[in-house]
Amino acid sequence: MNSLVSKFSTNNIPKQDVEDNEEYSDSMWASSAGYATNGLPTFRLPSLQQPTDFLRLHTDDHADPSCRIKIKHGTTTLAFRFKGGVIVAVDSRATAGSYIASGTVEKVIRINKFLLGTMAGGAADCQYWETYLGIMCRLHELRNRERISVAAASKYLSNLVYSYKGMGLSMGTMICGWDKTGPAIFYVDSDGTRLKGDLFSVGSGSTFAYGVLDQGYHWDLSDEDAQELGRRSIYAAGHRDAFSGNTINLFHIKQDGWDFIGNYDVSKMHYDGPGNIPGAPGTGYGYEVRTNPEACVVAD
Amino acid sequence: MSIMQYNGGSVIAMKGKECVAIASDLRLGNQALTISCNHEKIFPVSDRVYYGLAGLATDVDTMRQRLRYRVNMYTIKEEREIEPETFARLTSSALYEHRFGPMFVEPVIAGLSKTPSGGVEPFIAAADLIGCLNFAKDFVVAGTASDKLYGVAEGLWEPDLEADDLFETISQTLLNAVDRDAYSGWGAIVHVITKDKVITRKLRGRMD
Amino acid sequence: MASADGGAYSYSLTVFSPSGKLVQIEHALAAVNQGTTSLGIKASNGVVIATEKKSPSILVDASMVEKVAEICPNIGIVYSGMGPDFRVIVSRARKSAQAYLKVYGEYPPTRVLTQEIATVMQEATQRGGVRPFGLSLLVAGWDAHRGPMLYQVDPSGSFWAWKASAIGKNMINAKTFLEKRYNDDISLEDAIHTALLTLKEGFEGQMTEKTIEIGVVNVPTAAELEEAKSSPESGRPKRTFRKLTEEEVRDYLAL
Repeated sequence: MNSLVSKFSTNNIPKQDVEDNEEYSDSMWASSAGYATNGLPTFRLPSLQQPTDFLRLHTDDHADPSCRIKIKHGTTTLAFRFKGGVIVAVDSRATAGSYIASGTVEKVIRINKFLLGTMAGGAADCQYWETYLGIMCRLHELRNRERISVAAASKYLSNLVYSYKGMGLSMGTMICGWDKTGPAIFYVDSDGTRLKGDLFSVGSGSTFAYGVLDQGYHWDLSDEDAQELGRRSIYAAGHRDAFSGNTINLFHIKQDGWDFIGNYDVSKMHYDGPGNIPGAPGTGYGYEVRTNPEACVVAD
Repeated sequence: MSIMQYNGGSVIAMKGKECVAIASDLRLGNQALTISCNHEKIFPVSDRVYYGLAGLATDVDTMRQRLRYRVNMYTIKEEREIEPETFARLTSSALYEHRFGPMFVEPVIAGLSKTPSGGVEPFIAAADLIGCLNFAKDFVVAGTASDKLYGVAEGLWEPDLEADDLFETISQTLLNAVDRDAYSGWGAIVHVITKDKVITRKLRGRMD
Repeated sequence: MASADGGAYSYSLTVFSPSGKLVQIEHALAAVNQGTTSLGIKASNGVVIATEKKSPSILVDASMVEKVAEICPNIGIVYSGMGPDFRVIVSRARKSAQAYLKVYGEYPPTRVLTQEIATVMQEATQRGGVRPFGLSLLVAGWDAHRGPMLYQVDPSGSFWAWKASAIGKNMINAKTFLEKRYNDDISLEDAIHTALLTLKEGFEGQMTEKTIEIGVVNVPTAAELEEAKSSPESGRPKRTFRKLTEEEVRDYLAL
């Protein structure tokens, strides 16, 4: 099969070494998309002259919104850098059309102790490639006796997805971590974009998150205030965006690696807020809840 | 995306024992963007007849005005309140008039009709956007969460529920169904119509 | 005066006289008063309408002459005056009843249909190029809202509800007769007999099943209505108006 693939694959697809030794063939790992022994994954491709043309035609792409293979897009993720490290906050909703398929999705991928990746776009693509990135980062560590920088890790990912450009990969991710240079965030997407920055938000609810984020962001934020800002921003997106919501997952990356701060229900944030924790307002985030609590609800 | 999903929103009605209930969510959206969490979609026709309109908000508003016009004319001319079934027929013909350029609304009607022996009988009906009536014995649904509403209602509804049990059933059905629909939710409102009064309650729902 | 819009000929034929009367309508009423007598009586459990049917010649097949007409299953009408005008009214009324059924899924209440007919007749008093209808009508019907009702409609387009009324040639005498005989809790059976007795006053020639037409409205029982409701889609609405057959008329005359 792989010989067939290499026969038909074009130059812009990563060269896949044909596995000579049957003992270590893909079937041994029960998947042809498994990590092959040489570390490079192999994939079955549409057996056509130009697999990219086929994929461009049938997978989700900016050019053709009415394509056949749809990849879910609703999400809100954010990450920002401040003096105390990096705050990463995401929602947990997965939608298929208007159907809310899940409210408990883990959209922060723990690449290793110092690196987090966020998930927007195709869940499978993000999960697979960021896990793969984790492997490559570990290999880098073993080879160089030194942790990989956030810049290098994100570049590895961006080069990788770029090599599959036009084949329907869909990811919008933020690679966040702490390295020699301090806290760092890189935005990487499946188009091949890679941006360094202090503050990003990705997904259908990003505009709402940006609204809160920009209003409250400051480099000298305290840890508590920064966490509250992340929480409050995802809440805003969850409230206003139909495709974001359910729960908030909050992470804080410091010099000694990331910390999982907590999981918060968006509706509970609306009515009651995060409770008596530093930085929290002590009331619900909802406008009606804050301004006119009596008229808000009658029964439940 | 369908024009019927542009603003989002859902309506459901259920029959009980000598009572009916009709409920809707409170969201008004612009595609994925939630604009209002206090947008009611259920309107009274009389003390015993209520109807809800799911679909395109501008057409909901226009349809409401058209129906009000027709019902007012009917009430004045006939010197009587319209029966729920008659209102359903009227709604249906008003919709079919626009067969080749429809109003993008799906009505749900709930009311108590008078029986010849002087009692009341629960009545519910729903129609599609060109007026095909569906007289159901149990419940009717409309809107972006209609498929989910069918599922939950199928599991929770039972015949001859008293007013307070019917309220609980319709509330749970609506809240749980809209929690699986991206375009519906953000609070809900329920009306239970009984022989001697209409009970209206707003529900606390998920706000995402 | 001739002009593009039809000139003098487009003016309404019905114009006020200096004394404030519409002479055309008075003439129409005169036509009604030349018509054979018709009457109607509202009973406690129904309504009866009856009329005298006169053939110009014994050679005419009387079965073709219909003066009592069903408009819809709950309403029937009878007239005095001009037969051809009646045909037009019947046709308009039937269409109106069907249009109402199409919109509301039920037949019109008696009052609404009467109003509809009255509107048609009023329009003929105001529009250009037409003359008023040369007939008066008695409308009998039943509906859930008002129960059994009897209305009279005149060429002017005015209408009233009556307990009992008569129109046509022998109207004055018949009304006097009805006033003496009527009481509020009269039964339908008694009303039918009273109707025949009233017609007998000043009846020209022999009163037979061939020269009399009767229509009756029966008030349905709650059980009958319940039954009709049980199959609202396929079930036809309970018929409350019907014309009596010649046999039935003969039996009533024999009593």
